[in-house]
Amino acid sequence: MSMVAYQNLTRWLLLGVLALMLLGGRLAFAGQSLADVSAMLKAMADPAGAPFFPVVMQILQVLTWALHIVFVWTSIGGLFYAIYGFTRKDPNHQRLAKAMLELSKVSVSLAIVLGVAPLLFYQVIYDPLWYASANLSASWYIMFIVSLLIGYYLIWGAYFTRMKPQIATLFSIGGVIFLLLVGFIIHVVNYQALYPEKWVEWYTSGGTTMNHTGWGIYAFNIFRYLAFLVFPAISVIGVFMMLYAWYFGKRPEFERDYVNFSAKLGAKLALMGGAGWIVFHVLYIFSVPADWNAKGSIFAWLSVLGLLLCAGVIFIAQKNPIGMAIPSLVAGTVATLLIAVFREYLRVASTVRFGYSIYEYKVNLEWLSPMLFLGTTLTGLILYAYAWWMAYKAGRTPKGEVYQASETEHHLGEVSVFIVILWAIVFVGTGLIIIARNYI
Amino acid sequence: MDVLGFQPMWYVPTIGSATVIAIIATIHVMASHTSVGASILLAYLATKAYRENIPQIYDYIKRYLLALLVFSYVSGSITGPGIWFSATVANPRGISALIHNFVWVWAAEWIWFVAEVTLVYILYYTLGRIDQKSWLRLAWTFAIGSWATMYIIVGILSFMLSPGHEKWFTTGNILDAFYNKNYFPHLLMRSSFMFAIAGTIGIVIASLMKKDVPENVYKSIVKTMSYWGIGGLVFGTMFFGWYVSTLPERSLIMLAGIVPKWYYALIFGILLVLLAHFVLTSIKPTVARPYIAYPIYALIFFMGVYPEEKIRETIRKPYVAGEFVWVNQIIARDVPAKGIKSEVDTIKEKGFLKVNPFVPEGLKTITPENKIMAGKAIAILQCSGCHNVTGASGLRPFAKKFEGMTSEDAVYGFLSNYLTPQAHPAYMPYFVGKDEELRALSAYIADMVSKGGRVSAKIEVPTSSIQAHK
Repeated sequence: MSMVAYQNLTRWLLLGVLALMLLGGRLAFAGQSLADVSAMLKAMADPAGAPFFPVVMQILQVLTWALHIVFVWTSIGGLFYAIYGFTRKDPNHQRLAKAMLELSKVSVSLAIVLGVAPLLFYQVIYDPLWYASANLSASWYIMFIVSLLIGYYLIWGAYFTRMKPQIATLFSIGGVIFLLLVGFIIHVVNYQALYPEKWVEWYTSGGTTMNHTGWGIYAFNIFRYLAFLVFPAISVIGVFMMLYAWYFGKRPEFERDYVNFSAKLGAKLALMGGAGWIVFHVLYIFSVPADWNAKGSIFAWLSVLGLLLCAGVIFIAQKNPIGMAIPSLVAGTVATLLIAVFREYLRVASTVRFGYSIYEYKVNLEWLSPMLFLGTTLTGLILYAYAWWMAYKAGRTPKGEVYQASETEHHLGEVSVFIVILWAIVFVGTGLIIIARNYI
Repeated sequence: MDVLGFQPMWYVPTIGSATVIAIIATIHVMASHTSVGASILLAYLATKAYRENIPQIYDYIKRYLLALLVFSYVSGSITGPGIWFSATVANPRGISALIHNFVWVWAAEWIWFVAEVTLVYILYYTLGRIDQKSWLRLAWTFAIGSWATMYIIVGILSFMLSPGHEKWFTTGNILDAFYNKNYFPHLLMRSSFMFAIAGTIGIVIASLMKKDVPENVYKSIVKTMSYWGIGGLVFGTMFFGWYVSTLPERSLIMLAGIVPKWYYALIFGILLVLLAHFVLTSIKPTVARPYIAYPIYALIFFMGVYPEEKIRETIRKPYVAGEFVWVNQIIARDVPAKGIKSEVDTIKEKGFLKVNPFVPEGLKTITPENKIMAGKAIAILQCSGCHNVTGASGLRPFAKKFEGMTSEDAVYGFLSNYLTPQAHPAYMPYFVGKDEELRALSAYIADMVSKGGRVSAKIEVPTSSIQAHK
């Protein structure tokens, strides 16, 4: 098959996925009384309450979501580019496609593991939203896991066949379709969650049945989907290409020409994707129901401002993409955090309509388990610092050479091993004391 | 509207939502036990390679790490949240009870997850790129960090079965709930068996690269895997005995009388197969073959882990979490420390269908027209956690349990005597609801049986009931 045919195939497949998503997202409008919804939401909050101040959970949720979504974007963006790059004859495109595929593969792992935390904090303070919406589309929810598994293995398929670009392209197309499907499912679940007044109507089809098969998809917003998933993926992979050039450019086997090519292409993609990102983000803000006051909210416009700031930095970066790689990363981080805050604003806005406020959530305060988390986090941070630093050093070492750690790095390594063992001793020791106290 | 916090119900005909959880959980246990066991085995091998200066062992380690990345870190990392997702839709209130108690503990586990996943990539990419001493340190932190994820989840799993100590209900102290009396035997049992699982896959990988490494190195690797495997099996079996001795009374009754005997036969069988295989490969490492070791690894899935997961699920009944949330999502007892109130009395007083916000209004008041459908709704809401309520096959099917009972009165007579607080079996909640609701359930069951034991799962609210409500 010719390259043009591949390109066309890719385009049609992507269009097909989007068309399916549009068709699948039928919207239903009906409602219960405000008092009913309010009573239902309050009853659905877990009677155990939150074991700590909800605002702390909320902040952690925002921070960890931002971290998670960056790797979602690089997974999908990396595949988008790999599909394009593999179809080009230019060796620079071929080489960069392989690198971005590799980034995509690692990103999926990180996106999965990092995604656990925001969901954890989210469901402690917004449990009615999380459980009800997930259960409305329960079978899809299980398909999320299945699709992610298939998608991830297709990406590994692309990785193993990367020396045969035609096959790798097909695997990558399969991979990105499944990842977009996974994104679609989680988007639907998160979006449905924002409309508690429609849950009963949706589930009972207006009082005529119980949709317990879990195959219903009740709400979809194309602007939100494009603004939160598709366009950022293109923009962020562009910034990662700039970072890639900045980081690996120091290694002798990375030729100047290739490094500059990657950085320039990255800056261009970041700008193009960013333009779509801003447009659909604003369109999404305008599509939010009027009584949520999104258009008048400072958080909505701060998120737009964050994106504009990012666009400005990336615009400047067109001239010197390697030098501007780090500033672009910083601007992108600010924009992502502001979007995470805006997302959170939407949850608050959608629930205060029914008198549900996480700040009034029942709290069963206890200190022991947050202390465990804090201690583990400190242990983890020391370990991460050491591991990432060594990885950073190894990545910058020319091929065929072995990086010799300095005295300081060896000391940090010893501290890291020590603190991890100490954590285990404290954890097991505490257990022994508790068991002795309770059972002996 | 006077409602309790029920969620929309997900019903999976025939196999039941519990089986969906069990399948995902089994894949996860296979993947995670392989990776945690391997992390320790590989750190040990790397130390041996460093001390005895056998660099060829690193080739083996690299291959094993790649196998881990492709299998464990794809399947394992996806099915981990997968258990959580499937439990969310199958038992929303059960998982909610766990999350609301242990959110910080899970968050601590997440710190180790992130360490584990980033370290496995770092180890893979930096092998041979950084000095051996530094790599070794990373390998050991990876090993302990991976194991730490097991330290944490075992406490939560123990709590699912039982809070262990009655005082948790009044103190609410998270440590009392977490460090259950079966915490350590459970942890040690899993920690031991994971070496047998990781050792089996270790033999697969070694036998695949037999020609690539010198014979003495090959033998040393296979022997190491075999010895760790034998040790894992012996200690695992011992700790299993200890674990059983710490189970609550009701679980012991179920282990003896309810759990199918062939589950035990399968588990005993795979333990013997594994032991025989390890003994053989330890005596004669050259006989190790991928086409023998790999099927054995696959058999662990079907004969070892799946029955084990099913047993664990069974002996937890009638609860899904902490001996206060029933499998049918009803909160069965007070937890004063958390301000949790039993819902049993409210449901008895107001009616089960009335208090569930996701029951259509047209089924909340039972009439002759909607009686069968209201009964079906009750069956799906209250019984489908453990039963196939619309057929004669699969999960403890209703049509088999009530075979021949085509009269509503006969079913009612049986249920009203059997599912009472005094007479109900240890593994099953008693019926909670109004008498007319038990009659509707009986009418539905009799109707289903008289229709040949298989009906559509669809619920149709009669038009007259919808009109009446309006």
